[in-house]
Amino acid sequence: MKRTLLFVLSALLVLSLFAPAIYAEEKITLTVLNYFDLTAPNASREITEIWEEFERRNPHITIIREDLFNEPFHHKTEAYAAAGTLPDVIFMWPGGRSTTLHTKRLVKDLTPFIDEVRHEFSEAALMPQAGGYLAMIPTTLTASHVMYVNKGLLDSLGLEVPKTYEELVAMVPVLKNAGLDVVLMGAQDDWVIQSCLFSMIVGRLVGDEKMDEIIAGKAKFTDPEFMRALEFYKQLYDDGVLHRKIMNTTYGEVNGLFASGRAPFLIDGDWKTGNFLTDPDTGEALIPVDQQPNFIITVFPAIPGEINSNSTSTVAGVGYGMNANIPAGSAKEKAAWELIKWLNGKEAQTLRLETGGTTPSRVDVTSDNLEPLVQERLAFYGKVDVGTYVLDNVLAGDVYGPLNVGLQEIGLGLATPAEVAQRVQDAFDQWFAAQ
Amino acid sequence: MKRKMLGAEEKRAYWLLVLPGVLIYWAVVAFPTIFSLVLSLTNYNGGPLFGAKLDFVGFTHYARMFKDQYFWISLKNNIYIMLISLFGQIPLGFLFAYVIHRRLVKQRDFFQTMIYLPSVISTIVIGILWQSFFSPYGPFTELMQKFIPNWENELFYDPKKAILPVLFVILWMYTGTYLIIFLANLQKIDPALIEAARIDGASEWQVLTRIILPCLSGVILTTAILAISGSLKSFDLVFAMTAGNPARRTSVLSLYMYDNAFRGAPNYPRANAISVFMVVLSLILIWIVRLTESRFGGRE
Repeated sequence: MKRTLLFVLSALLVLSLFAPAIYAEEKITLTVLNYFDLTAPNASREITEIWEEFERRNPHITIIREDLFNEPFHHKTEAYAAAGTLPDVIFMWPGGRSTTLHTKRLVKDLTPFIDEVRHEFSEAALMPQAGGYLAMIPTTLTASHVMYVNKGLLDSLGLEVPKTYEELVAMVPVLKNAGLDVVLMGAQDDWVIQSCLFSMIVGRLVGDEKMDEIIAGKAKFTDPEFMRALEFYKQLYDDGVLHRKIMNTTYGEVNGLFASGRAPFLIDGDWKTGNFLTDPDTGEALIPVDQQPNFIITVFPAIPGEINSNSTSTVAGVGYGMNANIPAGSAKEKAAWELIKWLNGKEAQTLRLETGGTTPSRVDVTSDNLEPLVQERLAFYGKVDVGTYVLDNVLAGDVYGPLNVGLQEIGLGLATPAEVAQRVQDAFDQWFAAQ
Repeated sequence: MKRKMLGAEEKRAYWLLVLPGVLIYWAVVAFPTIFSLVLSLTNYNGGPLFGAKLDFVGFTHYARMFKDQYFWISLKNNIYIMLISLFGQIPLGFLFAYVIHRRLVKQRDFFQTMIYLPSVISTIVIGILWQSFFSPYGPFTELMQKFIPNWENELFYDPKKAILPVLFVILWMYTGTYLIIFLANLQKIDPALIEAARIDGASEWQVLTRIILPCLSGVILTTAILAISGSLKSFDLVFAMTAGNPARRTSVLSLYMYDNAFRGAPNYPRANAISVFMVVLSLILIWIVRLTESRFGGRE
């Protein structure tokens, strides 16, 4: 009996020595390339409540995160892709600027992973992306075109929110006499006009069906429909609705200009809302909460001859993908999926809803803690009738590149719509032949 | 026998001292340049470099580059930058150095510090500051409107004028560097030489043209080479101020190369072709400067 007891005690002692080693999880380090505007209000909340919180909950996972924003992010992504040194988890678009990652299959198909939690997401968010598979899980649904309206400013001038383009043009002399600009855009970077304005115009005047034909090579950019879109865009300058100085307004500079009442209209993406909200660190906002009810979020007024009314350009939003080189079934793969799942989790999406007003891709996210401008942004989706393509999400980089520059050239009077259409068609033909 | 051993030892020491430098030079300058040339002749477009199957396509990418209007716009802007460097920064840098060295102005330390100050500030910070200053909504516009009401600031968005603010900032930013170079070399000229000339009745102009400038011809050559190479690689300031826009009208060759490599769909062979062109162009320009110096320069 004594011997048995001694044996059991010895066995327990040995087990207790090895138990921590048996149960301790393997230490994993994950590298992440994150798209993050560190100057945005609430940026610090995202760091502490999303990123640091994940590490706190998963002590065996260490994250080495690289935060970049705007063009530098895209440049770094391409450099990593070219060098074959993509980080483990990477922020992505469902196409467009992340096309290389999709089409070269540099990130994993997440379909097998999402199955366990599929029911938690809007099905629209989980559609196959540019590479024909689910390369990333969108954290949000996005409208790349919205028109922010300073209704208080319009009221002070005795003006109404325009419902038609003609009404908008009629406002131009009134606004100019008041020493104001008409429409602001931070379009020094050439993607802004294409993504935030021209994609909407194409959606209204060309439509997705015709665009599908163009992308399939069955129709051309020089066809009358697309030409009309380019000509209408040029007309915006001729009518004084747009001014050439938008092309010398930086993407960050425009926030302050709009908030300070330099013009009653701002055209940008819905993500811009986040820049106007209250910064919890300072308690200050570009548009203070008490003034936010004076601002509305809508779309560009009705364009003559449009085939889609009250439309905006939309895209299943951005999200996170996983490096295809991570070995299948490895501990690292498990950790990377844990992180992606967390970044798309209820806590993270609720935080983003509160701080940036993003439209959640999950079905279970709501919050009582929303500033008026965020509520306005959420209400915006209910007010829009049609969502059409964002051009740089459906066209290859070789094609939308000349279009981006061409749109600036039209605005500056350096090229005609016909010349730009031809240039884009030539670029498309060259790209199409290479496929 | 002893002499032979000494020779072998010298040889060993020679290689020991030279080899690290040669190896580093080959690794970080010569090899990438040659490799860039090779890649510009292939269809390589991303993925692992070593072991990749490369198809040689000859000078196709160079031909496409020469046909692209944005290449010529970028080259033209580089030439403007080079001209402002050669005929703006260097003469101004020399003039300021001369004025300070010859004590033609009081508060020498103050002027020296003020002129050199921009050289120690981050280029990105300078770019953003000046972009804000020249912005249609910035202080420059407001200032001008004080004198000319309703004046419209077209500086950046008039394609013909868009490069002017960039050139101004380049002049403002780098003149101080040349000031320091010239000042250091002016201090090396024996003051007795100038004093003797003055005693012999030489005017300030004669001192400048007959003594100082010939003494500095080697330095002028060096600054010219620095100006040419610096202007060809200008990138950061333009990127921060205009990002090459509007409509790529303020782009420069290095930005054009960067656009091809990293914006939209990457075109690495074209980007390599641009970089090879830049190397060749800088070598030609430096050769011209050396030739000019050997023909017209004085002897230090």
